[in-house]
Amino acid sequence: MAPKGLFFTENHEWIKLEGDTATVGVTDHAQESLGEITFVELPIEGKELSAGDEAAVVESSKAASDVYSPAGGTVTEVNNALEDNPETINESCYEDGWIWKMTVKDKSEVEGLIDEQAYNKYVEGLE
Amino acid sequence: MTEKQYTGQFHYEVTEAEPRPSLLYQRHLRLTKRSRMANFAGYIMPLWYSTPSKEHQAVRRAAGIFDCTHMAVLEVAGPGSTEFLHAVTSNDIKKLIDGKAQYSFVFDAAGNILDDIIVYRRGDEQYMLVVNAANESKIKAYFNALQNRRVVIDTETPEKQLEHQPRIRDMKDTFAGKDCRVDIAVQGPTTNAILCRLSDDLQIREKINSLTAFRFFETELDGINCIISRTGYSGSSTGVEVFVHPEKAVKLWDALMEAGKNFGLEPCGLASRDSLRIEAGLPLYGHELNGKHDISPFEAGYGWAVKLRKRFFIGKNQIKKRKNYKMQIVRLQTVSGKGTRPVRADDAVLNSKGECIGWITSAAAVDSDGFAQAYIDKKYAEEKKHLGIYYLARSKRQVEQGKKTSADLGDKLESETHGTIVSRSAKF
Repeated sequence: MAPKGLFFTENHEWIKLEGDTATVGVTDHAQESLGEITFVELPIEGKELSAGDEAAVVESSKAASDVYSPAGGTVTEVNNALEDNPETINESCYEDGWIWKMTVKDKSEVEGLIDEQAYNKYVEGLE
Repeated sequence: MTEKQYTGQFHYEVTEAEPRPSLLYQRHLRLTKRSRMANFAGYIMPLWYSTPSKEHQAVRRAAGIFDCTHMAVLEVAGPGSTEFLHAVTSNDIKKLIDGKAQYSFVFDAAGNILDDIIVYRRGDEQYMLVVNAANESKIKAYFNALQNRRVVIDTETPEKQLEHQPRIRDMKDTFAGKDCRVDIAVQGPTTNAILCRLSDDLQIREKINSLTAFRFFETELDGINCIISRTGYSGSSTGVEVFVHPEKAVKLWDALMEAGKNFGLEPCGLASRDSLRIEAGLPLYGHELNGKHDISPFEAGYGWAVKLRKRFFIGKNQIKKRKNYKMQIVRLQTVSGKGTRPVRADDAVLNSKGECIGWITSAAAVDSDGFAQAYIDKKYAEEKKHLGIYYLARSKRQVEQGKKTSADLGDKLESETHGTIVSRSAKF
């Protein structure tokens, strides 16, 4: 089940808003379907992103999956620990497995995304 | 129109049907989540239960059980069976004796591989054929066309037709006859011990323990009639495939799971089935045979199953032209592990000068071991040779950064990881 207070995309990214900055990662459903994650290509710090831009790539031995930015803004920090320990996403996708942090240009863009209840329902529909 | 027919090419359009749950679907749901299952050749099958690596290791160290009930099983029986199969398959069926199986190819008259199959001789004029699930409807349509004399079988004598018309039946179809079969595989070193738990009969146990490669026999396990065959797709020299009536498949699965409790038996999904066959160097139709590179059996290292000394088999005139070849399949050991981008099919294989000499056809990773098969220029196909690998673009961003989405022979590319050629196949 997806945690409360986060917003979600139908491509299985989550975004957590704290003031003007936000943290982004992939959901439990995403890590489940990928299997053992062995490689993460992180975005570049300082990169300007629009909502829907490809920002990162998460790969398991079975598939490579693009991670799209849920909102527009600038990348301020990336989770470098994932380069050596990409499986952290499997183990803790909503906490230690975050992928990047960004400033958010327009908060309403994030608030317009689906909440955890709608996302849980959406995932249920996929099963 | 007529001219086109004489190319001898068999055209078949696969129609996508709504995927069906496998016969063992309810058992899979108890062992894994629905989200870990996927449509494979029209069946909803598990990709993995625990993790692909754990399941792969279980097969190498103990045993794994695989739902192979999606595999097509056909019967060719009655007068003319042997002659029919002698003409339709490339290997020498007349070498088979009762209780022995044989790897073989089915070609169309143009020399295209329609499938690689295993033919089991169950008796005089009685054969069981195991066909790739993905090719099931094509092979059925082809056999049907052959029997109805609707396809050219020899491009040089287009009027020629097969004389023999044996009975052909889908053995998975319980309405098509009493003797029906689906495949459940047990692979790995503890396989014999697990099977022996299901029989008190010392003679049967002895038969299980002494069964050699590509031999099979019909017997009972836990009171269930089955055919036990020393075949499989994992490279395990002690593995078996057990062919059972579809209505008894769940019962046999349960019995094997129970018997395997003390022998490290793990249920294994499609992911480990693929990584095991890649590690063993076994080809997959569409990847190391036929497929986008139109790979011939000779290039794949399976020319031994194409008996050109036979007077006739469908496709012989065309396939014999490919006996001399420039590219071949090799098995590679690759770099793997945390933080290493996995190698994938179509990534470019490079020589020491950075020139593209071929492509990866299949790749898998199990913990820190990487396995791959590649289709490369024969000149470089020496064991222990190091080859560079260039990752093709995986995303739009990588394309924007200048990464290529495909590579041609001779392209100059920068090596990003590497592989070492190892022996063509491995037994475990």
